[in-house]
Amino acid sequence: MQLLQWFLMGIMFTLGSIGVAYLSTKVKMPWYGWSTVIIGSILVLFGIGWSGASFLEGVAQSGAMALMLMSMPGVLMVVLAYRYFATQIVSKS
Amino acid sequence: MTTKNISQNETANEQLEADLDNPERRTLLKRAAIGGGAVLAAGMGSYAAGKSSVQGVPDLSWPVVTDDFKSFPQRNTVLSYAISPQQMMRHPERNEQFGRLNKNNPNYNFQVQVPGYEFKPWDNSRPGFTQLDHALQHSSWFPPFSTELRLAGLGTPNSRFYSWDQSDVELEQYQFGSEKEASDAIRAAAKLYGAVRCGIARRDKRFDYDPIYDAGITTEMMNSLESQGVHKLRDYKQVAGAMQEAMKEFKVQDRELTWEHDFPFVPKSVIVLAVPMDYDNLATAPSRTSGATVGDGYTKMATLASSIAKFIKNLGFQAVACGNDLGSSVAYGIAAGLGEGGRNNQLLVPGYGPRVRICKVYTDFEFVEYDQAHTWGMTEFCKSCKKCGEACPSQAIDMSDDTHFYYDGEHSDQPGYAWGNHEGIKKFHTDAKKCFDYWLESDNDCGACAAACTFNEPDYWHHWFIMAINPYTPKFIHSLMAELHPAFGYGSTEDPAKVKKFWKTGEGMRVNETNRHAFGAVGKA
Ligand code: SF4
Ligand code: SF4
Repeated sequence: MQLLQWFLMGIMFTLGSIGVAYLSTKVKMPWYGWSTVIIGSILVLFGIGWSGASFLEGVAQSGAMALMLMSMPGVLMVVLAYRYFATQIVSKS
Repeated sequence: MTTKNISQNETANEQLEADLDNPERRTLLKRAAIGGGAVLAAGMGSYAAGKSSVQGVPDLSWPVVTDDFKSFPQRNTVLSYAISPQQMMRHPERNEQFGRLNKNNPNYNFQVQVPGYEFKPWDNSRPGFTQLDHALQHSSWFPPFSTELRLAGLGTPNSRFYSWDQSDVELEQYQFGSEKEASDAIRAAAKLYGAVRCGIARRDKRFDYDPIYDAGITTEMMNSLESQGVHKLRDYKQVAGAMQEAMKEFKVQDRELTWEHDFPFVPKSVIVLAVPMDYDNLATAPSRTSGATVGDGYTKMATLASSIAKFIKNLGFQAVACGNDLGSSVAYGIAAGLGEGGRNNQLLVPGYGPRVRICKVYTDFEFVEYDQAHTWGMTEFCKSCKKCGEACPSQAIDMSDDTHFYYDGEHSDQPGYAWGNHEGIKKFHTDAKKCFDYWLESDNDCGACAAACTFNEPDYWHHWFIMAINPYTPKFIHSLMAELHPAFGYGSTEDPAKVKKFWKTGEGMRVNETNRHAFGAVGKA
């Protein structure tokens, strides 16, 4: 089961990096904005990975804490960075 | 290739060319590739760094000892004293002092409580102490009770599984190609027989019990006391009377044995082996339920160590298996690189914490690659974490902020109080008398300090992650980690929910979707 979880996490990290790459073609941000987005995304995925393992081991409280203490701040970081630092790239064509 | 496939490929190529011609798409593809590559590289890098971190680093400074540090006489271990009627007569002041200082009872006596230990009736209204839990605990001790293992568990040397007899050593000695080949072969055999860790240390006299002590009581004597119903008596005067009769009948005579005259050979190496205890079962501590993984561990120790001793003898070398006897299992476990010493005075093994039982094989075989002490920053972590001490119902655990050379807990100012402590080595020093007194009083072998330990973790990646970053985290993060451990739902003790959870772990055993560490892991099979 844990190997399956690794596989799923691999897919999620890949999709995450494509998502950030896509965002980079749509918006402009200073370096600290991008750092916040990338760290936030890693935190979101780390929290999901942690909680997945916690649910597998049957310690749901650990999973819930991981989502609350890692993924939620991660989401906030991404949203806040987007909200305060991002400016739309205007297409030249 | 069919016409349809050719036209599909052409369409795909055209699409790719169109994408590459589109500058926005080209940037996206480039960045996605760079991002994906970075994620892959970071993932592989972290994995490699983590894997190397959990190997630990050699700890050349261990052990830190005083100039006069020497081996400990086994008679002074609390278990040896507590099972010995003759030591009771020789050292009544030990019972008196402990009782007066801790129990407000100068007539306190360890020895008379031992025959009735773990025989109090069950209580079906108390989770962990019901007939179901009682049945499990007593079934786990059935193999040790049927052999001499019960006495071996209390430290009696030269018993059936841990025999000193060397008459079956092969005359021809097997020649290994290299020391590594020899060590690998020993480890392969150990793994086959159920060890989760195996290390080989040089014999170090300072960690051997010297002299070795045999309290002289026998399985026949204990069985006789049981058949008379002495284990059910709660009037200690009657117990004392029955014990005196049994001592006369079985001619109980304790004795001390020396390595030079009594042990059959001069040991050169000590093979140290760890067997796991079940996570969910130990999580129910302190209870009769958790006593089951302890009893089961004693049987597994005996079959493992005796099989390895026999393996060495079959190769033409002398070997004696042992459990708690002959030497300090924790010290040898550290010397063999299996783990570090914890605040709870147990061996903390990466990936298990204190949730292992240790057995050893003394041998004169020395053509091996020796292991050495390693550190993972666990003893350092203990300095900021006192979870075991907080969980200990008898306040037996050292709560000092740092390791030290002498027992300095409660009553350390009383002359002779630390008779059961091996002093002169830098570590935490538990009051084992208080611990064993709690076992006798609560009628189970507790284990709360092992269940509560921050390093007692199930085998999942996030716990290994914590293990891997531990050596690189500062002290204040250690304190935070120790506090978060219970907040995340781990390490609670005296928890009826854990008992309920344990009794559910048999679900799903017809088909098991993972064969990884089914025993000792967590959750359903
Ligand atoms: S086994 Fe129980 S009583 Fe003994 S030191 Fe551990 S927690 Fe304390
Ligand atoms: S609970 Fe904490 S202090 Fe006690 S042995 Fe485990 S890590 Fe060390």
